[in-house]
Amino acid sequence: MIKIWSMKKNEDAAARRKPKTSAAQIRVQKDLTELDLPPTMKTHFPDPTDLLNFTLTITPDEGMYMGGAFVFSFAINNNYPHEPPKVKCTHTIYHPNVDLEGNVCLNILREDWKPVLNLNSVMVGLQYLFLEPNADDPLNKEAAEELRKNREQFLYNVKSAMRGGVIKGTHYDKVAVQ
Amino acid sequence: MNGSSSSSGDWHDRYYHVDQILDRPGPRTDPSFLAGDEVKDFLRNKCKILVIGAGGLGCEILANLALSGFKDIHVIDMDTIDISNLNRQFLFRQKDVGQPKAIVAAEFIMNRVPGVKVTPYYGKIQDKDDDYYLQFNLVICGLDSVEARRWINATLVNLVDPENPESLKPLIDGGTEGFKGQARVILPTVSSCYECSLDMLNKPTAFPICTIANTPRLPEHCIEWASVLEWPKVHGDKKLDTDDPEHIGWLYSMALARAKEFKIEGVTWSLTQGVVKNIIPAIASTNAIIAASCCNEAFKIATSSAAYLNNYFMLIGTDAVYSYTFEHERRAECPVCGGESLDITISKEWTVDRLIEMLVEKQDIQIKKPSLASGAKHIYFQAPPQLEEATRPNLEKKVSDLIPDGGEITVTASSLPFSLSLRINYS
Amino acid sequence: MLKTESIDIEQATTHIQAQPDNKTRRYDRQLRLWAASGQAALESARLLVISASATSTSILKNLVLPGIGHFTILDPKKVTPADAGNNFFLNGHSSIGKFRAEEAVSLLRELNDSVDGIADLRNLDDILAKEDGREWIQSFSLVIAHNLDQDILDTLSQLLWENPTSPSLIVHNGALPKTYAEKQAFKANIRNLSQKLDEENFEEAEAQAFRLWSESPVPSDISATLNLPRLDQSSSTSSTAFHALLQTLRAFINSPESSGCLPLTSTLPDMKTDTESYVKLQIMYKEQAKGDNALFKTILKKEFPDLSIDEAMVDAFVKNAHHIKVLRGRRWGTWDKDPASLGPANITEEALRTEVQSLVGQGVELPEQLDDAIGEIARAPTADLPNSAAFLGGMVAQEAIKMITKQYVPVNGYCVIDLVETWTGIVGQP
Repeated sequence: MIKIWSMKKNEDAAARRKPKTSAAQIRVQKDLTELDLPPTMKTHFPDPTDLLNFTLTITPDEGMYMGGAFVFSFAINNNYPHEPPKVKCTHTIYHPNVDLEGNVCLNILREDWKPVLNLNSVMVGLQYLFLEPNADDPLNKEAAEELRKNREQFLYNVKSAMRGGVIKGTHYDKVAVQ
Repeated sequence: MNGSSSSSGDWHDRYYHVDQILDRPGPRTDPSFLAGDEVKDFLRNKCKILVIGAGGLGCEILANLALSGFKDIHVIDMDTIDISNLNRQFLFRQKDVGQPKAIVAAEFIMNRVPGVKVTPYYGKIQDKDDDYYLQFNLVICGLDSVEARRWINATLVNLVDPENPESLKPLIDGGTEGFKGQARVILPTVSSCYECSLDMLNKPTAFPICTIANTPRLPEHCIEWASVLEWPKVHGDKKLDTDDPEHIGWLYSMALARAKEFKIEGVTWSLTQGVVKNIIPAIASTNAIIAASCCNEAFKIATSSAAYLNNYFMLIGTDAVYSYTFEHERRAECPVCGGESLDITISKEWTVDRLIEMLVEKQDIQIKKPSLASGAKHIYFQAPPQLEEATRPNLEKKVSDLIPDGGEITVTASSLPFSLSLRINYS
Repeated sequence: MLKTESIDIEQATTHIQAQPDNKTRRYDRQLRLWAASGQAALESARLLVISASATSTSILKNLVLPGIGHFTILDPKKVTPADAGNNFFLNGHSSIGKFRAEEAVSLLRELNDSVDGIADLRNLDDILAKEDGREWIQSFSLVIAHNLDQDILDTLSQLLWENPTSPSLIVHNGALPKTYAEKQAFKANIRNLSQKLDEENFEEAEAQAFRLWSESPVPSDISATLNLPRLDQSSSTSSTAFHALLQTLRAFINSPESSGCLPLTSTLPDMKTDTESYVKLQIMYKEQAKGDNALFKTILKKEFPDLSIDEAMVDAFVKNAHHIKVLRGRRWGTWDKDPASLGPANITEEALRTEVQSLVGQGVELPEQLDDAIGEIARAPTADLPNSAAFLGGMVAQEAIKMITKQYVPVNGYCVIDLVETWTGIVGQP
């Protein structure tokens, strides 16, 4: 066998065996403990020992969705950050970029995900959807159509949906907190 | 013939070709090379090598190692043989479909190449512990999964014990896609590791979800619509099994109907399967090249008979033959092999709070707001608030009540490139 | 045909879709690379492999698995103890003393029931000496030779070059530079040693790996192809047809009825837009492609009224007009007619160095790296190492597949491989 040991640098002589924690685990620890969230966003861990599954609640303090509390589930697998976290909205909400099953249209959650992005970027991206709903990337086509054509009506629909109203036959979950 | 078979299966001139290399050094051979009997004895009687994966690369690797003179080979694979493997996994036949790859491959090699012992394990690499991996001199990987590669890479890096030179196991990794492939040599903690180059990987193709939902243009968009949006809608929590032909059939007909609705051509069964399983084209010839390259490195490293690859070889066979050999550099912020590590000795009476204070004050590491964990056990997290609150009571506890002597703590902080690993000793 | 009305999802899903047949499933991973047309080409190819060495069987393994139509191994030799030790397609010790070709054929055929393979125990010398033997060799679609002796290789390559029905791949390893090409490769390698592969090459190839969207009406490499002089008269009929197509393409671009561009391919790249506009554009694309195709055929008929070319071939040509590439091979040893040869007895470092010096010219200073190369050759002059054989087996099979399927681009020149530091290079590119 080649003598690899002699090639180890001196600085490595002090190297040790690292704890048996996967790279994904350490990365999630790093991402979470360095989260710097505004008061409008809160994480909740149903099992505080499990860092890979949690929820994020967004309560926008401005914009059309002010007054609502929107809950997203995060599921991170062991291939993080090679793969993005799986994020879904747990309520049925009236939003052009969120469909009735809770799928979210946010580029960094799919086609634009990169390992250099982190959980903070995803959360900030999600909050932005409530400040600036985007009619160009629709998942709820009717909501997007309304936003584009009649902003007043859209705003009315948002408020009504947040109170648990029915819009065009679809029953939305009550997410209003005030 | 003068070739009589001995108990080890060897006959005169069996290694006529290989021995030309082992009997004398070449101009680029390391001076530590022990030409002749000594190196042959090591290769054929002492060296133990692990092959991870008995698929496209694995079959080739096993055959090459056996012919090269490795006689104690172990192989791990968790898969069973599928008909689509038979265009390249040449140790398997139609009758073997459904059987475990590792077991069939091991038997085939032992039948074909007398005197070689191949020990199969039909299961996951994660089933095995450090002691298992410590028994090998070398590890060769022919895997198609990023996750499994990251796992074995991290395991071998973590195995390196500064007090034990035997704990450093060279890892040779191969991968192919169509006419392209790469082979690399990883010397854990010495050279760049798999995690160091994670950003070089092609990310899996993903289409914007709103395109899938509203403006499909390609057949792939229709297939993604069926699998990402329609399957959970119709089947609820029932998991999509991409190996179940009925599930693929369902997706195919849904995608086809959507394609017709939008006047899009090109949805086929094969494309549906390719998109949802993320199938990578694979052929025998490319696997042969990459596996041969991996085994050639294993042979050179095991025997010291010639210089070895430093450390990355990539090959593109689509447009003539283009290859590129280069040294991939270690990344200081690599979560697996990078980062700082530190031995510290503290009093048994120290609280977690005191330890954190010490880390913050320590001039040479400059940590602000460190978060501490030991394996899955959270010691103290600075954020998010719920976890800070949950771990706050630990601040008053003695470190010695949480961590045994010689135990490890992973420290993360925004000021650290990745993490710091602490080994705690008590005075 | 595409129907205009949408299909009821209910209706579509009640029809249970069966998965593809066994053959399609078996070849699934390769059909994604070369499609049914490439597979059909492989299945109708007939391959002659001269010798059943470890390298030869490695090559064959990689062609039998994907389903080549037929192979013949020509080899009169019997298995030696050394063969039994380095060739996976021999039955170890129990094959010793039996015919190499027969042992190898039976083990290779096990890999794929649909491949037909036979062992031929005749001597290549005898075959080449007779007219019917030469015809027999020419009946193959590809001939692969491994480590043939110099003079017989000459005769063989002359035969195949002058009667270009079957291309040939000639493989040498064992590191003994006893042939013209190796000497030539050696020579070129010495000249090129200063220009080792660098970063820039890498980036260039990376860029080429992607399909680039050209803005000029006719990409420069295609216009260069169009202006190629015709090959000489001895060319085969398929070559005549190809040049007729090339000339027609030139006439097409110059025709007032065309837009001055290459014929449109019917595949539109994806772009961010809504479905309706995309599908509309796609239909326009298709119509234009159909029109271009018709115009091309009209010109062809006018320019070459007597020539009959298979309709499918014309369609394929028009469809792939953006990716046409002409590869011109060279006759084996064309560059260097040096008749000197080295016998295995005098493979010493000194003899090799003298030989190299005489090849490149007495005045030329030999680079230092040459000693490394010479040293490795002198160390193992006749070794056919299992890993090198497998590596070469993969490389040659890739080239064979590219030539047979006429997809992807084969090597044009000599591919040199160093498995000590692990790199490859191409020398002698035209």
